Amino acid sequence: MARAAGLTYVELHCHSAYSFLDGASQPEELAARAAELGYEAIALTDHDGLYGSLELAHAAKALGLRPITGAEVTLADGSHVTLLVESRRGYANLCRLLTRAHAGTRPKEGREPLPPALPLEALMELREGLVCLSGCARRGLAVRDPSAAAQLARAFGRERFYVELQRPYERGDARRNAALRDLAQALGVSTVATGNVHAHRPCRAFLQDALVAIRQRSPLEACEQERRGNHECVLMAPAQAKERFPDDPDAVARTAFLAEQLEYDLTCELGYRYPDFSTDSEPAEARLRRICERAFVERYPASDKALREKARSRLEEELRLICELGLAGFFCLHHEVLELAREVAEEVRGPGSPRRALPPGRGRGSSVGSIVCYLTGLSHVDPVAADLSLGRFLNREMASCPDIDLDFPRDIRERLIVRVIERYGRERAALVASFSTYHARGAIRDLGKALGLPGAEIEQLARLTEGDPRRVGEELASLPDGRRKLASRRWRALAWLCAEIADLPRHVSQHPGGMVVSSQPLVELVPVQPAAMAGRQICQWDKDSCADAGFLKIDLLGLGMLSAVEECMELIARTRGEAIDLSRIPLDDPAVYEEIQRADTVGAFQIESRAQMQSLLRTRPQSLDDLTVQVALVRPGPIQGGAVHPYIARRARRRRDPSYKPPIDHPLLAEPLRETLGVVVFQDQVLEVAMALAGFTVGEAEGLRRAMSRKRSREALEAYRERFLAGAQARGVDPATASRVYDALAAFSGFGFPKSHAAAFALLAYQSAWLRRYYPAEFLCALLNAQPMGFYPPASLVRDAERRAVRVLPPDVNRSAAACSVEEGAVRIGLAYVQGVGKEEAEALAAGQPYADIRDLAQRSAVAEDTLRTLVEAGACDCLGQPRRALLWQLGLVPRPQAVPGSGGRAHQLALPLQPVTETPELLEETPWERLLADYRTMGLSLGPHPLALLRFQLPAGAVASAELDRLQHDQRVAVAGLVVARQRPATAKGVVFVLLEDEHGLVNLVLPPPVYERYRALARGEPLLLAYGRLEKVGRGRSVVVDRLESLGPLAQKAAGLAASPRPLPQAHDFG
Amino acid sequence: MVADSRASSASPSPRRLNVPRPVLVEAGVDGVPLSVSRRAVALVREEWRVVDRWWTEEPVFRRYFETVLEDGSCLVVFYDQERRSWLEQRA
Repeated sequence: MARAAGLTYVELHCHSAYSFLDGASQPEELAARAAELGYEAIALTDHDGLYGSLELAHAAKALGLRPITGAEVTLADGSHVTLLVESRRGYANLCRLLTRAHAGTRPKEGREPLPPALPLEALMELREGLVCLSGCARRGLAVRDPSAAAQLARAFGRERFYVELQRPYERGDARRNAALRDLAQALGVSTVATGNVHAHRPCRAFLQDALVAIRQRSPLEACEQERRGNHECVLMAPAQAKERFPDDPDAVARTAFLAEQLEYDLTCELGYRYPDFSTDSEPAEARLRRICERAFVERYPASDKALREKARSRLEEELRLICELGLAGFFCLHHEVLELAREVAEEVRGPGSPRRALPPGRGRGSSVGSIVCYLTGLSHVDPVAADLSLGRFLNREMASCPDIDLDFPRDIRERLIVRVIERYGRERAALVASFSTYHARGAIRDLGKALGLPGAEIEQLARLTEGDPRRVGEELASLPDGRRKLASRRWRALAWLCAEIADLPRHVSQHPGGMVVSSQPLVELVPVQPAAMAGRQICQWDKDSCADAGFLKIDLLGLGMLSAVEECMELIARTRGEAIDLSRIPLDDPAVYEEIQRADTVGAFQIESRAQMQSLLRTRPQSLDDLTVQVALVRPGPIQGGAVHPYIARRARRRRDPSYKPPIDHPLLAEPLRETLGVVVFQDQVLEVAMALAGFTVGEAEGLRRAMSRKRSREALEAYRERFLAGAQARGVDPATASRVYDALAAFSGFGFPKSHAAAFALLAYQSAWLRRYYPAEFLCALLNAQPMGFYPPASLVRDAERRAVRVLPPDVNRSAAACSVEEGAVRIGLAYVQGVGKEEAEALAAGQPYADIRDLAQRSAVAEDTLRTLVEAGACDCLGQPRRALLWQLGLVPRPQAVPGSGGRAHQLALPLQPVTETPELLEETPWERLLADYRTMGLSLGPHPLALLRFQLPAGAVASAELDRLQHDQRVAVAGLVVARQRPATAKGVVFVLLEDEHGLVNLVLPPPVYERYRALARGEPLLLAYGRLEKVGRGRSVVVDRLESLGPLAQKAAGLAASPRPLPQAHDFG
Repeated sequence: MVADSRASSASPSPRRLNVPRPVLVEAGVDGVPLSVSRRAVALVREEWRVVDRWWTEEPVFRRYFETVLEDGSCLVVFYDQERRSWLEQRA
């Protein structure tokens, strides 16, 4: 413990950023700094949690430091004690205590959580294996309630209770520590010195101040009491401890003795086991085989002998491997969860639903390559027929459990998560945590408020930022008044604090669907706390920590498109009486592929984005296999790996010349890259290339893939490079080629799809395109009801459908249901689509139909008056036979039932049956602009004329519509105008920004080269209506405008609409990275 | 006759209380005062540090000492790192 070198201090009280807004450093940063300063051990004691404990433990061990696990726990009276783990029993107790402290933090859904609180009695009861320190200088138990500290001292005993001395260099330290020494003496226990660390380096102490202000939701000026007053909360060198505690050398030395006592090693003593599923009469392996055999007979009929034989040998191979790896229980668990899902699906879908025939969910990811997954119902792609490889999913050298991802429609998933927790018990199942980390916008807003900067200017900067907090300084400098701003300390502080706060966790939330299940109580392995949604609970570790702990994670993911597809089938059955079986639709329908090849895919799954559309026009998929490549191609992995352009070019060449052989880097790569024309498109090809070129075993190759996909393993990636180069050299590959291939693999990194995943997604992409082609109204209706999802806002989905002759009708208080519906072949917007109308309100409104007039509506519905006004403005009351302004006038005169004061809204006075005595005056009709803006303001979409149709005749001469671009020449100068639908600045595009404009005829793709974007950044990021000048670029069937000048159409629209300011309610574009 | 107090045009402007005043301090290499205004420091009762307002144009980085001088008097002095000077302030 650093005593050999004369150092006698171990830090036993240390907060990381996982104390959420009360700690300014990542666990890895603390570990790295501690190693640098010469520590031999360090404890992490975050507030009421072990969120960062495993991260610190792994980082510390990698640096030769011994990690100590602990937490600073908040007691019921608000005071703190520091708990440190001595043994495995102590760790289990700490997890139970933290679970208990959080148990009452979410009394009501949708409310802010209450602070954790642990009853003192619980701590005294579960004290075994723990060491208790008496708490910090400000809120420590010994400082606030010495008699309660005495109770704990008696319970823990002198070997395990210490009075904690801190020296934060605040006025009053001397008196407090003297009192604490006296207390220790009176209790017959020892003192121990701690640093109450909140930052690993001095520069982060400034950030710590700002975090306190963010936590307090006040400017820095207004939270002097809560801040630390100085910057002494930084990890000190062990040698400094003696200087800091000159009167207490024993308390300093005791830290090292105590650290030796705290032997528990979280990285190897957790002892997790997943449910085994073996019974006395049937081992798990036999059970799994029984399940598989039953399905095998159905799936592989004897008629196809060749396929059956192939499948049989694959099944035997997989079962043997599963047996060797001891994973039978793992598959049985997944099968059982799927059976639960089947029950839930039956309940959710209800009897007689056309969705009944559908499986409850479908697999994605590498598991789709497994025949065992296929036979147990976990995937719906036959891996034998589709020639999918197993390697990535399951191999002999696996270090951790394989991943099985299951997609469910949202309604089924919601209920399934709660059902799984009920099935395995609240002590044994929980959702995986996810930590929301700071990105640029949040950082600018939170820090700007803390620094007391003007709200409007902060908001302006937040809207302009690109998303990297480290670049906020540059972005600030590029503002028109950037120089003035940067002359002030507050703005400069904003710039560097944004860089410091980058990626720090802000709060804990739940992973999209990862669940962990344990055979022994999970609450003894990791603390569990209630989630924001009722009935759900989350463990305190994220997916990386859960993987490090070897936890079995089941991913139950909600997929908006599955919900949409299922709803679409129900709508078709309801309105047309047709039962669609998606598993039987033709997968080679030329009409569907014709639309896909034309990139007429707005709303289709995975192939609708701007980048996908551009690519579709060139790759022109003709089959499900082509779509499988397509889905995987436009991903950061293949883009960074340089695969996209060669693939597109080679595919075009192959179309012209079927005998064309694409070039490859080395003959050894011919087979692995055969189906993707010599480039790496699928994640499994990373494995196959590593095995073919460098002789990696499947386990080594999977290790390389994992290293590529994890944020914490940059060093590991370099280590793999050396092994790869050596392996390739041994196979006679020259170093330059090997290095080039490795770089391409590393650039591919983890950001690609395995082929099996792409195949599953391609099928859904095709099915959605098929529904869009043949049932466009039902498909649009389902998409609108499944929002938010996909690339386009509802306004664009509606415009696209209208262009394809789908009629869309406005909301109507006498005809609309709560959700959007199909009415005589047209889509009727639902009442819940109107801003401010909640689902329950909309259902109640629909249940009360019909309404005779506005008075009837106002008096019979419980909807707030503001909401009724919004309904009128949205056109939902046009059916009542009066102009909107007359309805608004009359609404103001309707006597409505009033709440009885003091009844909390439960009792109402009846409205007096008075008739209005004044006539409704003559009121002007709204202009088309007023209607348009009211539509966007109240529904986020408009069914009237497109804003560009209203502006078209006032645009400068020469501005062309999107429909005219086809007849113009490549390279011709053009001006196009439109509403900004989406902006994209892909990390892979070297600063190029793509903007998708929509006019009354369709979409136009704008390309903004970096200098143009920099010059017009404020316009490109903030303006909803743009006029772009540039050069028309036509490549194949693709067309884009390479922009050199941008103008805002705001002033023109303002003038046209007769408004005092630019029209604000126009929908905000979607931003994509 | 009593003068109208409101009529006075010489009413003093608000005055800051306990304003720190420059003081001559001799400190050791560790920065701890040895003498204040040429009077030896008999005891440093406490040291504390203040870092505040670093986001403003008037940041505060100070090291305070509560001292007892050899004549028995108590005095709080601080070293202002921004102004690089010693000041005294009543405790």
